[in-house]
Amino acid sequence: MTEHRWTELAAPYALGSLDPGERAEFERHLETCASCRVEVQSFREVSGLLARGVAHATPPAELRARVVRYARRARPAILPWAVAAAVVLAILGGFGYWRAANEARVLRTRFDVAQSQLDSTKYVVAALLDSSVAITDLAATGKAPSMRLYWNRARNIVVVAAFDLPPAPAGRTYQLWAIEKGRAPVSVGTFNSAPSGRPVITLQMPAGVQPEVSAVTEEPAGGSPQPTQQPFLVGSWRSRS
Amino acid sequence: MAAGDERALGELYDRHGSTVYALARAIVGERADTEEVVADAFGQAWRTAGQFDPARGSVTAWLATITRTRALDLVRARGRRSKVLARAAQESDAGFATPLASSDAPDRDVERQETRQLVTRSLGELPEAQRRVIELAYFGGLSHSEIAAELKEPLGTVKTRLRAAMEKLRDALSPRIRQVEP
Repeated sequence: MTEHRWTELAAPYALGSLDPGERAEFERHLETCASCRVEVQSFREVSGLLARGVAHATPPAELRARVVRYARRARPAILPWAVAAAVVLAILGGFGYWRAANEARVLRTRFDVAQSQLDSTKYVVAALLDSSVAITDLAATGKAPSMRLYWNRARNIVVVAAFDLPPAPAGRTYQLWAIEKGRAPVSVGTFNSAPSGRPVITLQMPAGVQPEVSAVTEEPAGGSPQPTQQPFLVGSWRSRS
Repeated sequence: MAAGDERALGELYDRHGSTVYALARAIVGERADTEEVVADAFGQAWRTAGQFDPARGSVTAWLATITRTRALDLVRARGRRSKVLARAAQESDAGFATPLASSDAPDRDVERQETRQLVTRSLGELPEAQRRVIELAYFGGLSHSEIAAELKEPLGTVKTRLRAAMEKLRDALSPRIRQVEP
């Protein structure tokens, strides 16, 4: 039997119109064919919607109590709460669409996260691959941690790549400074490290600032207007262009 | 049955009771039998709720399948023909609402009312012969060969008509049908 022939049986099967032999045969096929199962369900949905097109009839008011009473008797065991929850959710969410909608939301969120990670990666790469980029290495006398800064002068973006930098203590943050000779340090921004110790962060160099030196201090969360500690990472700028 | 479960069942009935009732009524006809089918259908739905997976189909489709099965079982057990089948034999009006008649049941739920109108319109757009086959299958519970005998048409013709009608309906109703997991 061809696949096409099987597909043709989905609609009459969903309506219950297959003759017994064909029905049994098709049910065996359904056990192994996911696409036919989807096809059958789509026609069951049609069948379900057709019920909405039936000539209207108003149920008597007392039927509701009878249904609940009858179901109470008919139920052999206490309904597991999870099942009750599933039914309630299906009802409240409307026609059982809640789960699909929920999954769509989850996928959408995952997609957005992946997209933003990709965007951020592209942004970093674009900032690095530019002839205007200046680079400096910040080090604490040759020991870990260390840091490399890439300053895209055309776009005033600073990409911070840190190595072996532990996360700042609770309530503290790291702050990067741009220092011009004879002037007070200017904050480039605050950042923290990931548990991996290898964060890559992009910050914006304040407009008009042309630092000779950059340094990193540990500051209270939110950063400080001026450094409150001795920097633990210091480096001077050199241009590669 | 816990109190919370009863509330869930009550909500299930409040949302779908009138659709289930109308469907049962269209198949069995008698009011007392209709009520029995409705109680029976909700009872079965309640017992088998654990097997219902919302990812694989809507509550509406699930309940309609149960209701049709129970209603058709009762009609057969009574040794009767369904109301629609009896009417179809007389070539009078059948189970689906006519576009005119559907307006007699205003629904407060806009989404449901729109669905109802879409279903009625989609059925109305089917060629008469296809609509007839669908009604015999849907309300009469007739198999391909029983429909062929009823209409005195070749079996192949009946199969083709039924399938074509269901495919047209699926296309027309697709805005109300979501994709399901296999």
